[in-house]
Amino acid sequence: MRAPDETVIKAGQTLLSVENVSLSFGGVKAIRNVSFDIKKGEIRAIIGPNGAGKTSMLNVINGFYHPQEGEITFKGVKRKKMRPHDAATGGIARTFQNVALFKSMTTLDNIMAGRTLKMNKNFFWQLLRYGPAEQEEIQHRRKVEEIIDFLEIQHIRRVPVGRLPYGLQKRVELGRALAMEPELLLLDEPMAGMNLEEKEDMCRYVIDVNNHYGTTIALIEHDMGVVMDLANRVVVLDYGQKIADGTPDEVKADKAVIDAYLGVAH
Amino acid sequence: MAQDAVDKAVDTFPKFLLVNARERGHRPAIREKDLGIWQTWTWAQVKEEVKALALGLKELGVERGDKVAIIGSNKPRLYWSMCATQSIGGIPVPVYQDAVADEMAFVLAHAGAKVAIVENQEQVDKVLSISDRLPSITHVIYDEPRGLRDYDHTRLKWLNEIQDIGRKAMETKYSGDAWEKMIAEGKGSDIAVILYTSGTTGNPKGVMLTYESVVVSSRNANAFDNLTEKEEVIAYLPMAWVGDHIFSYAQSYVAGYTVNCPESPETIIEDRREIGTSYAFAPPRVYENLLTLTMVRMEDAGRVKRAMFHYFLGHARKWGEKILNKEPVPILARLIYWLGDILVYGPMKNRYGFTNVRVAYTAGEAIGPEIFRYYRSLGINLKQLYGQTEASVYITAQPDGEIYADTVGKPSPDVEIKIEQNGEVLFRSPGVFAGYYKDPDKTAETKTPDGWVKSGDAGFFDPKTGHLKIIDRAKDVGKLKDGTLFAPKYIENKLKFYPNIKEAVALGDKRDYVTVMLNIDLVSVGSWAERNNVIYGSYQELAAHPRVYEMLAEHVDEVNRSLSEEGPMAGAQIKRFLILHKELDADDGELTRTQKVRRGFIAERYGPLAEGLYNGAKEVDITTELTFEDGRKGNISARVRIQDMKTHPPAAAPMDKAA
Amino acid sequence: MLCVKPYNMLCKVFVIPFYEMWDLPDIFVQTLWEGLVGGTLYSLIALGFVLIFKASGVFNFAQGIMVVFSALTLVGLHAIGVPAYVALALAALIMLVLAFAVERVVLRPLVNQPDIILFMATFGLTYFLIGFGELIFGGDPKVMITRELNIPTGRISFDFAGGRVEMQKLDITATVVAGLMVAVLAVFFSKTRIGRALRAVADSHKAALSVGISLNQIWIIVWFAAGLVALVTGIMWGARSEVSFALEIIALKALPVLILGGFTSIPGAIVGGLIIGIGEKVGEIYWGPIIGGGIESWLAYMIALIFLLFRPQGLFGEKIIERV
Repeated sequence: MRAPDETVIKAGQTLLSVENVSLSFGGVKAIRNVSFDIKKGEIRAIIGPNGAGKTSMLNVINGFYHPQEGEITFKGVKRKKMRPHDAATGGIARTFQNVALFKSMTTLDNIMAGRTLKMNKNFFWQLLRYGPAEQEEIQHRRKVEEIIDFLEIQHIRRVPVGRLPYGLQKRVELGRALAMEPELLLLDEPMAGMNLEEKEDMCRYVIDVNNHYGTTIALIEHDMGVVMDLANRVVVLDYGQKIADGTPDEVKADKAVIDAYLGVAH
Repeated sequence: MAQDAVDKAVDTFPKFLLVNARERGHRPAIREKDLGIWQTWTWAQVKEEVKALALGLKELGVERGDKVAIIGSNKPRLYWSMCATQSIGGIPVPVYQDAVADEMAFVLAHAGAKVAIVENQEQVDKVLSISDRLPSITHVIYDEPRGLRDYDHTRLKWLNEIQDIGRKAMETKYSGDAWEKMIAEGKGSDIAVILYTSGTTGNPKGVMLTYESVVVSSRNANAFDNLTEKEEVIAYLPMAWVGDHIFSYAQSYVAGYTVNCPESPETIIEDRREIGTSYAFAPPRVYENLLTLTMVRMEDAGRVKRAMFHYFLGHARKWGEKILNKEPVPILARLIYWLGDILVYGPMKNRYGFTNVRVAYTAGEAIGPEIFRYYRSLGINLKQLYGQTEASVYITAQPDGEIYADTVGKPSPDVEIKIEQNGEVLFRSPGVFAGYYKDPDKTAETKTPDGWVKSGDAGFFDPKTGHLKIIDRAKDVGKLKDGTLFAPKYIENKLKFYPNIKEAVALGDKRDYVTVMLNIDLVSVGSWAERNNVIYGSYQELAAHPRVYEMLAEHVDEVNRSLSEEGPMAGAQIKRFLILHKELDADDGELTRTQKVRRGFIAERYGPLAEGLYNGAKEVDITTELTFEDGRKGNISARVRIQDMKTHPPAAAPMDKAA
Repeated sequence: MLCVKPYNMLCKVFVIPFYEMWDLPDIFVQTLWEGLVGGTLYSLIALGFVLIFKASGVFNFAQGIMVVFSALTLVGLHAIGVPAYVALALAALIMLVLAFAVERVVLRPLVNQPDIILFMATFGLTYFLIGFGELIFGGDPKVMITRELNIPTGRISFDFAGGRVEMQKLDITATVVAGLMVAVLAVFFSKTRIGRALRAVADSHKAALSVGISLNQIWIIVWFAAGLVALVTGIMWGARSEVSFALEIIALKALPVLILGGFTSIPGAIVGGLIIGIGEKVGEIYWGPIIGGGIESWLAYMIALIFLLFRPQGLFGEKIIERV
């Protein structure tokens, strides 16, 4: 409904690009003049040491932060800044580094909340809940049940998520993002704090999401092994600057990357 | 009489399916929770599904006598696969889905399976990974297509496609009642299923059961507990296990009751609650887990709720079983129990999904008496049974109103039981297996020419109740010099039932009498010591304390008394005991890592003590090497006292209860 | 007669009141009823606070003046000749306009500012509404258009335990209307998409934004809901006394209720209000004379504090279960 000049992006074409983006908080520069793109259908990893500006980059992409300089092009529409609502309506979903769920609500309600934008906006029917609104609710519920099935979280359907262990919370959060049927899925350290088995599961889900739904994924991850397995292309940030961009193998061999990871003095 | 004739004619499960589709076609046969909703298939619908699948399999080349492996968790289509295979004369071979690839390879190769019907990608991967070892397999059929889209589909097929093939064949090649004719060709004496049992040693054995065996067992079981088409059961135990095969397939087909397949292994409790099963079957660990879960929840509950829970539970412990057994109970106790049912027992049973349960069985291994009594005190008719794959499950079961925590019940209908000289339980019934597949030697070893099957378990009939008690594996049961049966684990378990006794080691095989070495439980005895002003400085000191000896002597005496009432066990009463000066420890090799005592090793390590127990010594000095927690080694010396015990004369069995 | 010398005071406090309750049950029931009615109104006011606090974390100091303002609007519209029910609808509409205005003028510019700033902003809103209201409607008390709205007046009375209990029909109506209001809100919050979105916003702004829930829309909705609650409160309260700016201080009555029920719990607000209302009335009738008047001004706080001694997490304080 937004941005009438949006174009349909085919697989392999650029879905989103950031150009010369800089972001600072007060005097601190979090991102300096970074450009890169995300192609439709790929799994794109953003890596870098702590404080490299990875999460800030995601926040710029989904509109939580507004860069002072640079531009974001999403589905062919150029924007000076993205707003969270624009990002969500445009088809960008995300998860958070430390899990941001609706803790007092059940798994089901959390994932249903992900359907917010897909639902009819007719406020009046919503108030009454009956008639078309009820029909609609059933359709969305079916979609949500498919996601619950996909992520194998049937057993926690009715559990308030605040009570779940961390690994499951991350899965619910992924489910909520999937419920938006996003074109671009931003995952901020999806495997952080998980044990090996949970990590393997999460990896499988990420690959399945990419395969099954064809969702483009941009993810931040620390575990290099995971990144090398999952990602088609990797962009490396260090101190807010881009220091490398390419396939996992290229990046692994890059001298600047090796230096950054081994902590060579600048 | 006429009914009998009909019963005789319906002698295979596909025939039962036809009967059910005809007589109760509108009733639910099976349900599955999928996408949060219970999907139901009636018997009439199941017949159509099975028919399509059966003819599809036929088109794939499955012939009479061919084996079809079925691998996966409890799903309607996998149960249908079983019946579909049987309907065209094939033999289903359900395989444990969590078996590792090697085990699975052995079973599939040994059975010579032609087709494998599997649940999902995980199982497809497993079968494909071993396919080079399985020349007999022509096709792999899967139920759940997720993730399999890009696989090579030359030998891989989706179950729905097979059904489509079957439906097409229905119109051409197998039109009319062709399928029904195929079913009619099946005979009661045919092999119905091959169930592989994992022995403790060696390769799994394929137990062949005929339709006759399984049908008779199912019929008897249904009659024993008055099961009707109205029962609801939940299928969640492995399909390859004989228990599930009988409960969730055979008995359901015979009685026409409804089987419910849970959404996922994690949702069983919730699913059971929604269904409200009326007939349940589970190994003890399931009941244990439920109870643990309850206790954990209660710890988190508010003070009032917790107090209420404990009060009413205490009341139930005192009166619940009596009420369930219809014994006379004071009116006030009844009233409080009724109140408890509203406030505590009812909600709890609802949580467990046992609100509507008429009969629940525990089987597979011994259940803790506390756990057993807990469920019974809530008013759940939990009973024990003793069964084996080789018997189509039923060997003994507890009739209503005759429930004991430590017996496995009376012989099931049509089952004969005898106890061998060495204590081994032998059984004979129409339900016994036809033989081990491709293993006549093993068959001959287990099954005598006149039809008796060696169970491998030792047991005896309890003179007090007339029920069978299983004491141990037969090979672990020894004999005293005078020939009396000596079941060390049985005696040890009786002793360990006392909280003060942590471990017990019974000696007696090829000796004159039975003696035991005990370990006290430091927590329990320690708190007793504190309450009774017994001063002690160390474990060793406490263990040697005269008053501790006194206390344990009482326990041993009680055990002796209970043994004296148990017929064949009466001769194996404990003559002497001692309390070990150190705790048995896995680090010292005295226990296995699973905390089981290593009897032989202990007898050797504490040689002087063992000797002392049999040479009449009052005290024995001993020095033992031990390993400290940090790995250092040291020595511990002690003078260990040996206590003599009185034995009780064997009690005569009351005549009215004798079997 | 019951009390002997040295224990005179203790006896008066701990024995006599209970004896009286038992001895004259009709008066006790009468007291409970009046307490319940008062409590219902406290609940409604507290409810207004909770709605806004839950969704935006703002303690809305202006809730009290919203009660007055909405009631004045209703009465004022009727005074210039608008039929009663049309005036009611218009008053509701004006509360909606107010919600939009607040979102636009107060909340949106101040988003991401510390809570204290927003709290101060509601102070500003309060004084704006007082001034604006006086400008339009004048400062003198008005009479609620009870009859025109067909709210039953008069009383019913019945015999009870040898005495007579009297109930104002107005009070019965107030209780029923308040109950309905709460029921409707409860269904709205638990069953509808907007209700779900509202709870989502209450749990995490960040996550709500990421799924495309519009905070602005939610704010308008809760302010409007709070406005409607204020309107109902204003009508009921105004019908019992009069509509004047003095009503504004009833906002202060909501504080002990909130202390008791918690700032984020709707059931807490309701039950808390009832407890305070009943406690206040019972205290006033049975203990008031002993202590000597003036008890109303602080008793509510006292009750709340005593309650908190036993339940520090408040009435419906959710146990905070979070795992790291």
